[in-house]
Amino acid sequence: MTAILVHGDHISCSRVGGGMRRESSRLREHGQFLEDAARELAAAEGPDAAAARSSCVASLGVLRAAADLLDDAGAALQRYATDLAEGHELGRRAELRVQGAGLFLDGTRVIEPWGPAGAHESELRRALVPEVQARVDLATAHVGRARGRLRREMARLSQGFGSAASPSAEPSSRAASSSTTT
Amino acid sequence: MPAEHHVDPTRLEAAACFDAAVPFDAAVPLDVAACFDAAATALARSRAAALDASHELLAHYADTGEAATQRTVDTLVNQAGDALGALGDAFAGTSRTLQAAASRQRHAQGA
Repeated sequence: MTAILVHGDHISCSRVGGGMRRESSRLREHGQFLEDAARELAAAEGPDAAAARSSCVASLGVLRAAADLLDDAGAALQRYATDLAEGHELGRRAELRVQGAGLFLDGTRVIEPWGPAGAHESELRRALVPEVQARVDLATAHVGRARGRLRREMARLSQGFGSAASPSAEPSSRAASSSTTT
Repeated sequence: MPAEHHVDPTRLEAAACFDAAVPFDAAVPLDVAACFDAAATALARSRAAALDASHELLAHYADTGEAATQRTVDTLVNQAGDALGALGDAFAGTSRTLQAAASRQRHAQGA
């Protein structure tokens, strides 16, 4: 009946978080090219040049915003991966303590084994339950807090990406289109 | 006022648009079409980077170990992938527009 106390794969979380931050860094590098292009356009004259420059500047703004969000998301996942790894270790130790005390885990609850047992033996096990349960609770609370933090952060960043993908976040193409009509 | 203290307003205006590290020479005529091309190329590269990032995000899976947390992470990954894809599309459109502007500029210069 002894179950795995802490679920999840911290390695996959770390890998995805690292990938997000790497892509964010690449986007920022490309933002630098865009900034250079906008700077060159600043010296050009005429309505086409002005519209093109504002297109570049707007595109740069959106690109950097997306890169920042991606970096934040990657960092949050990496923090979670660290917390999850600690949770796994706390959970492993708690599981060992449960086994060592001759007790079982029912979900996250420490219980006494079924079946006949001597009164003295049963009394000894029962006395160990609060201390062992406290170790289990430490592991689950640690991971629970980490999950709460990650959920809040992901929800906040999702809103940012949601607005980044909306049509109002594409001033660059509209500004550039206006340049063709001038 | 001595002649050497006069400030050429066109030179000042151009200098204000440039980073201090980038030298500006007003005597050299600016190739506007080339500027448009450079911006179009930068946007095309940004588009490719945004699409690569979108594909990279959607190609991997982070196992958080709990259903509610997993949903928020999956939602973020999907929204980020969509946003980067939309960004790539927008950059592609702007890049094409700038290429067209560069062609017009060259045509006007040639005429």
